[in-house]
Amino acid sequence: MSPTRRLLDGLGLIWTLAEKDLRIELRSRQAFYTTLFFSFLILMVFNFAFDAANQDMRKAAPGILPGILWVALIFPGVIQLNRSFQSEREDGTLLGILLSPMDRGLIFLGKFLANWIFLVAVNLVTLAIFMAVYNFPLTSSTPWMLLLILLASLGFSAVGTLFGAMVSSIRTREVLLPILLFPIVIPVILAAVNGSTEVLLAENFRFLFQWIKILVAFDVIFLAASYLVFEYVVEES
Amino acid sequence: MALRISHLTKRFGIFRAISGLTLRIEEGQFVSLFGPNGAGKTTLLKLVAGLLKPTSGTISLRFNGSGPERRHVGYVSHQSLLYPEMTGYENLFFYSRLYGVAHPRERSGRMLERMGLSGAGEQLVREYSRGMKQRLTLGRALLHEPRLLLLDEPYVGLDQQGNRLLTRILRSLKDGTHTVLLVTHNLAEGLELCDRVLIQHRGSLVYDRSSGGLGRREVEAAYLGAVEEDGTESRSE
Repeated sequence: MSPTRRLLDGLGLIWTLAEKDLRIELRSRQAFYTTLFFSFLILMVFNFAFDAANQDMRKAAPGILPGILWVALIFPGVIQLNRSFQSEREDGTLLGILLSPMDRGLIFLGKFLANWIFLVAVNLVTLAIFMAVYNFPLTSSTPWMLLLILLASLGFSAVGTLFGAMVSSIRTREVLLPILLFPIVIPVILAAVNGSTEVLLAENFRFLFQWIKILVAFDVIFLAASYLVFEYVVEES
Repeated sequence: MALRISHLTKRFGIFRAISGLTLRIEEGQFVSLFGPNGAGKTTLLKLVAGLLKPTSGTISLRFNGSGPERRHVGYVSHQSLLYPEMTGYENLFFYSRLYGVAHPRERSGRMLERMGLSGAGEQLVREYSRGMKQRLTLGRALLHEPRLLLLDEPYVGLDQQGNRLLTRILRSLKDGTHTVLLVTHNLAEGLELCDRVLIQHRGSLVYDRSSGGLGRREVEAAYLGAVEEDGTESRSE
């Protein structure tokens, strides 16, 4: 089989797995609404707590708004990452996938892709709510914000999918996943918050590209590492 | 020769589930494997299916005119391995894609017909009865036309009609090209179909006979012998 054919077959398998997860989610929209509602609550709670829409407040603490935004974007994502493999384990369907002759790394990429698309969809709605609640109009810098969301959610989904698979057979998985996940994704959160501070508040993008480079590096390293170690994570002992 | 197992051992921590098991099954044979609970039957099937890795020993699969690929193995486990939030057709289509089956749409439709489920193909699997699920499970395992079929208690939960249908399907597989390893507690069903009888006890094979001219009483006596020995030892512990 030619390398091109193998690549196309691999991409087809990844999409088959991702499409299956997205189809199931579209049918119930359970995780989507739960995650989105959690994000909405975070935005509201911080809005009441800090009066963050106040211009004086923004000038006094310029990093606070991007911080609020990324707490609302990142934290609720754990709900989906926990569900991703938990449901496969509960229904026994993970065995069905593992029985197939496909490369196990492709299984990871399929699950990761579904989680990434899901998180980007939730994040886009959350961003729209954030801009409405905190009075940020659409500007020419908004596409940079979208790029930050794409890159940060990619790294978060890659690590989260791997750790979600690791803890899915453990009884205390709901507690364990955030404890394992958040220390690892600190570079993502730091880069995303700092990058967003420049995009949302500062006029010049002096350090923005550095933060974007950090996000790209994190994404590449953790996506590749997760792909390689996934086989050992899902293997029964 | 379809399956050759040499000195296979599988440990889970200090528990030895399979203990130095050696077995050879010829292509086209229908083998029934009996044994008390905890004998290691399911572990053996999982090892052959590639879901578990042996602690020591080897398992080799080889079929006439094909390489030793795992894509030739079909597995029916205790669990259905089906997605409850997808329709019967969607489940079969999904697994067809994972196994790289040619013309997956047509194949899935034909399999639904073969399993007597063509009228329920668009119904969500969570709405299926136990018998319907079990038939679809068998359909899933046969989708890619496996040369070796591993069946773990396929009769559990089936009504009389489901039993008859399953027996009919399994009988249709006795065509010399399919090799079947059936694990069951039900002596009548196991003996009706098989060419060879195995009894496993405490991770080892304690009985291996061709079923030609073999009476149910003899198998029953060997089986009960293993169970009683187990009970006696348990009581003495």
